[in-house]
Amino acid sequence: MEQKQLEEQILEIVRQEKTIPEHLDLSAPLADAGIDSLDALNILFAIEEKFGIHIPDDRARAIRNLDDIVAAVREQIPQ
Amino acid sequence: MKPRRVVVTGIGVISALGRGARSHLDAAVAGRGAIRFIQNFDPSNLICRIGGEVPDSLMAGEHPSADRFARFALIAAEEAVAQSGPAIDPARTAVLFGTGMGGTTTLESSYERLFSAGQTRMPPMTIPKAMYNAATSAIASRFGATGPGYTVVSACASANHAIGQAAHWIRSGLCETAITGGSDAPLMPGIIRGWEALRVLASDDGDPSTACKPFSVDRRGLSLGEGAGALVLETHESAIRRGAEILGEIAGFGLSMDGGHLTDPTVEGPLRAMEGAVRDAGARIDEVDYVNAHGTATKANDPTETAALHRLLGARAARVPVSSTKAMHGHAMGASGAIELALALVALNSGTIPATLNWRGGDPDCDLDYVPNEPRAGAVRFFLSNSFGFGGMNAVLAVRTTRGVE
Repeated sequence: MEQKQLEEQILEIVRQEKTIPEHLDLSAPLADAGIDSLDALNILFAIEEKFGIHIPDDRARAIRNLDDIVAAVREQIPQ
Repeated sequence: MKPRRVVVTGIGVISALGRGARSHLDAAVAGRGAIRFIQNFDPSNLICRIGGEVPDSLMAGEHPSADRFARFALIAAEEAVAQSGPAIDPARTAVLFGTGMGGTTTLESSYERLFSAGQTRMPPMTIPKAMYNAATSAIASRFGATGPGYTVVSACASANHAIGQAAHWIRSGLCETAITGGSDAPLMPGIIRGWEALRVLASDDGDPSTACKPFSVDRRGLSLGEGAGALVLETHESAIRRGAEILGEIAGFGLSMDGGHLTDPTVEGPLRAMEGAVRDAGARIDEVDYVNAHGTATKANDPTETAALHRLLGARAARVPVSSTKAMHGHAMGASGAIELALALVALNSGTIPATLNWRGGDPDCDLDYVPNEPRAGAVRFFLSNSFGFGGMNAVLAVRTTRGVE
């Protein structure tokens, strides 16, 4: 899957879980988008459901921004 | 030193009767019940398809991320705090809420995924939404309260335990203000099935509104309800100082345990709790001029509670009005004490003694004045509000109405 396409899909899921600013710096801390620790859990859960993947706990705990989420998802989906 | 007196300056309530103290006063004055066929989910394969259900439309879109029982609690607490006024110091405010079942809605839907839909993952909010203190914590967050707080779980006595304990916290100086009450949302298929198995639920006979018949010979069991009641409590002195309207006084709290059977009640346990509440209020038993009964409409509770009232009131027993409002809103378990106290206080403060609906009499072991079927005008000053829970948990509040608060 194209990187841009994956980002779009993930942002769509994020938007379903949480109202976030329209223009987002994917490298900014999640808190800048108003996403707290529980929001992040809900977002990861929704992403796992959507893609049928499991993001390991160690990987999930290292997530600081949306770029990290995209990378974590990319690691789990078949190339 | 004279003990600090604890008064009510805010009342909030949501139940099958509606949202807000006003709707509960209206229902009490009209003698109207609201137990209905369950509509919030399809109950067709249940034996008991009725309950005192809060219509979803009453809280559409509010606090959507919280479990149903916490949403009820937040809505009731918001009403109570709004009425009490803005002068609450969050650092000196306690939150002490009761619940019998906690976040059943969340648990049932998550378990359904796991056990029925073959999923292996649970929604991440399952635990924080379902935990028993979710309502207490949601209220603390909503108002920034940082004083003492925890959650009381004692089956159907939970709310009374919470309110009584909160009053004692204020009396002792542990806090200045308390947001207290009870909340429960047990109208879920798994919980109803559990109650069905105990064979204590009333069947509907085609008309849900007449299924629950407290103290009547033809009673066939309880009807479950749901909702929340909330009170803001503070010292009498602080209410006077800031000019808050005093809506009543939590004058005394009596507790006891049956110390015996898990579900069969005793006469002595409730009696000792009622005596304790009057004693704690520094009052005399002959001052009790109304009793808001537990009155579940089960075979076991009603004659036992009646016998305890005979022992408490003696020769006055036949003259003191006793009513159960559970026929109006159902038995809301850990919320029941709070919903019933809210309803009783607003009704009594306006001169109305709530009725026991669907009463036909005929049980020689239920021979008190139950204010049958029609509310009655009366000037009550000091009353008891009873809640008795499975596991032999008895909690009674002794309350002064606005007439009784001096």
